Amino acid sequence: MNASQTARFSGAALLLTAGWLGGALAAQSDTKTALDPRTMMTGQWNRYPEMGEQPNPKFPPPAAIPPPPLKPQFQAEYDARRKAVTDAEAKGQPLYTNYTACLPDGMPAMMMGMFPMEVLQTPGQITIIQEAYNQVRRIYMNDELPAPEDAEPLFWGHSSGKWEGDTLVVETIGIKTSVRFRDAPHGIQMRIHERLRLLSPDMMEDQVTVTDPEFLTGPWSFKYMYKRMHGYKINEYVCEANREMFDPETGGVKLRLGK
Amino acid sequence: MKTKHARAVAGALIAGLAGLAFAAAAFAHHSFAMFDHDHQVKLNGTVKGFQWTNPHVYIEMEGRNAKDEKSEAQHYTIECASPGILNRVGWKFNMIKPGDVITVIIAPLRSGEPGGLLKQVTLADGRKFGNGGPAGQPNID
Repeated sequence: MNASQTARFSGAALLLTAGWLGGALAAQSDTKTALDPRTMMTGQWNRYPEMGEQPNPKFPPPAAIPPPPLKPQFQAEYDARRKAVTDAEAKGQPLYTNYTACLPDGMPAMMMGMFPMEVLQTPGQITIIQEAYNQVRRIYMNDELPAPEDAEPLFWGHSSGKWEGDTLVVETIGIKTSVRFRDAPHGIQMRIHERLRLLSPDMMEDQVTVTDPEFLTGPWSFKYMYKRMHGYKINEYVCEANREMFDPETGGVKLRLGK
Repeated sequence: MKTKHARAVAGALIAGLAGLAFAAAAFAHHSFAMFDHDHQVKLNGTVKGFQWTNPHVYIEMEGRNAKDEKSEAQHYTIECASPGILNRVGWKFNMIKPGDVITVIIAPLRSGEPGGLLKQVTLADGRKFGNGGPAGQPNID
């Protein structure tokens, strides 16, 4: 490369860099900071796309969650439960669920909970708050998880996080067997493996893989996506006045009327 | 072939319904299947109570069917979404008070009891509010 070629190359490189920087800055102008996942996951996030929202072509929405790859011996019970739910809906007598009884939906459902969620990044810990039912999960960075049989069963379990480049990788164990995601049964060996990353300053995804050698034939994978909410304040949510009662006649929900 | 096709259609229908059931569960504290969304009713009346709580907000009102001159006033319990959802669509915890004269459009309870799910409320000052996305839109005026 002679001097003039070098100059031309440097000029082109400079223009390319300037162009890239310009684009990057324009993309980030709404947050005015560099794309640093170690601080920028902090904030308020809404499910993406929201109900009725036209998705942004730049961010194709996640595929529908597939059914759990259950071992054959658990399939019949699962199918029966799903059929009961569908039949009850068709009859206008929806089944009573733990959620209707004001119990939180736990992991991994709370990561695509009904309402917005908040991520707080602090030294050694990432805290995720789901507005619905005031659900809180704490992810301890580089923490040693107990053996599954020693993990106290909880709604949100025990989570350890670590960074792999720009991706937050979280392992979760110790979910109560009564906390059923999409009616799928699970055992104490269940692990929830998550890979969270920012797609842009205002978009985030969580690639979730559930494994359970006792109940599943293989990994159960799906993706959640989130869009940042600017200036949103998470609402308080205490399930204090539930009027949805269990109706012993139908096994469904009955609304308690007031006077 | 016909049977196969019918089976495929039935299969798709069941899968669709199952999807809906999951969607309902994902968006609400409970399914809205206990309300008749196809036969909505418009009520005029006076607020007796306004309960701003989770998991749902309730309007208690003495109302009568606005489209039936012969209808008699009775007590209705109107289920609204949650404070969070309603805050996000512009409601305020104190915007309805006992004594207010309001109009509501509801999906009535399938059980026939005097209650329903709110679709839209019109306040005494004429302002109209929906009940958030999951509860759906009114289909009558």
